[in-house]
Amino acid sequence: MRIILLIGLLSLSLFAKEVDLPVELNAWKSLSYVGAAKSADELLNASLTLNNASYVGLINTPKIKYVTKPFNEGGTVSYGGIFEIKIPQSGIYRVVLGNASWIDLVKDGKAAKSIAHNGGPQNSGIRKMVDYPLEAGIYTLQLSAGADSTTAILVTKIK
Amino acid sequence: MITNMNWIYRVAILLLVFMPDLYSQSMQSSDPKVELGRYLFYNADLSINGTMACATCHEQRRAFCDGNRVHPGALDDSGKRNVPTLANVSKFKNLTWAHNHLSGLAEQSLAPIRGTDPIEMGMNGHEDEIAKRLSQNECYQKLFARAFPEQKGVITLSTVTQALESFEKTLISDNSLYDQKMKAHKPLPTKEAQAGEKLFFKTAKCNTCHTAPLFSDDAFHQIEPEHQVVYNGMIDNGLSDVTANQKDKNFFRTPSLRNVFLSYPYWHDGSAATLFEAIRKHNLNINHTLSKREINQIIAFLKTLTDNTFITDPQFGKPSIECK
Ligand code: HEC
Ligand code: HEC
Repeated sequence: MRIILLIGLLSLSLFAKEVDLPVELNAWKSLSYVGAAKSADELLNASLTLNNASYVGLINTPKIKYVTKPFNEGGTVSYGGIFEIKIPQSGIYRVVLGNASWIDLVKDGKAAKSIAHNGGPQNSGIRKMVDYPLEAGIYTLQLSAGADSTTAILVTKIK
Repeated sequence: MITNMNWIYRVAILLLVFMPDLYSQSMQSSDPKVELGRYLFYNADLSINGTMACATCHEQRRAFCDGNRVHPGALDDSGKRNVPTLANVSKFKNLTWAHNHLSGLAEQSLAPIRGTDPIEMGMNGHEDEIAKRLSQNECYQKLFARAFPEQKGVITLSTVTQALESFEKTLISDNSLYDQKMKAHKPLPTKEAQAGEKLFFKTAKCNTCHTAPLFSDDAFHQIEPEHQVVYNGMIDNGLSDVTANQKDKNFFRTPSLRNVFLSYPYWHDGSAATLFEAIRKHNLNINHTLSKREINQIIAFLKTLTDNTFITDPQFGKPSIECK
């Protein structure tokens, strides 16, 4: 119940003003809830789905055991979390995020290098968008050094 | 015989007492203030919401710059100036792009921590929070005790900033290709860089302000007098904002050019995306107008100021053992 309310509230606050989003960001408008994992063994319950925006619950940083050390781990009062996402084919993917958390996309212990950083369109609720060239496979998506206990995230293929 | 045994016992006891200490010390930087300062430099608990450490804006691999025009603060307030390198920062009397009476690096560090123009780490009015957070951590209690024995390891904003200063003083960059060739009395490897070097020191007289070996004269100049930059609604008048003297308007401190190839974008407002633009933007009263080719030669020279030791030295990086 609380979650549904939160999702409602979030979508209201995100889309209080009608915004024109580019077609590739359409999925941003419908959110489903996913709670972050604290460690690798909880990842099964923390899967994100490609092209589906998720409203995500994050965890207080000292409680998290990251799979690989994030470049920017955040202090004791910050939030983060671990997710899993299946990338079906290689290409350029965009991670769209509602807050300014640090993003790491990790496969086989290696973090993917980002190739572009952008802010979101005005009033979209999108704080940052980062593009990565990815291979097919299961990636661990780590959020770290975030200011809030919740945010929204979307991973989408752009090329 | 008995006295002999005693002697051996004593040595053994001494060894046992001091061994673990020697051992643990060899694993850390020899100066405990530096060690603590390094931990603090990488600690995001110095910001209001735990999202931002000094190292968030000052990244070692970019010679302690960040690659952005300006960097927003922990609470998303817009940044005002471009992040400068911290290479050899302890050699400067005048700190930041345009300030002439900061007492040193400890005082300077208060600007990101609790400054409001712009808000960076957002601790204004919440300064006590820093000591509170660090005091909850046994590892930090120990580091402070070791770094400030005369003050009984007290954790305050003052000891925090003193430790940061100690770490920053170790950030020395003096092993670029240029330094190596100078020491060996050898010329730079390419014709292009040699031509650039000559332009830099002779024809174009860049050296008058970007004076070697710091590649800065640590003084203020007005090199774009006509231009008033207003970025994100913030007006930056340079030195006159500090001295309130109209004569200082648009004066900025000469930046060091060490590792400049890594520290893009350029100028106090990050308004020059490339080295080419950064050099072109100077409005200098010299008789010589630099051609495109000459600017590229100077750039080839500036590339020899990149110090790979500095940007990879593990002593300047995030400590591999966490303080938990
Ligand atoms: C939000 C980004 C940001 C953070 C976080 C930050 N800095 Fe900076 N730093 C800057 C900018 C921008 C300047 C230039 C300020 C100016 O000229 O007014 C600067 C300037 C400096 C300088 C002066 C360099 C020189 O050449 O004179 C030092 C030293 C420094 N910072 C150290 C620190 C320390 C220590 C911390 C952590 C307590 C820190 N910074 C955190 C952005 C940041
Ligand atoms: C009269 C003093 C002076 C002379 C001469 C001078 N510069 Fe500068 N230079 C400055 C100042 C001051 C700045 C900072 C300007 C600002 O940000 O507003 C600067 C900025 C730069 C920057 C950008 C650095 C950064 O980190 O943002 C580069 C590169 C540079 N100068 C190269 C040169 C070269 C090459 C020459 C010779 C052709 C030269 N300068 C001559 C004073 C000078």
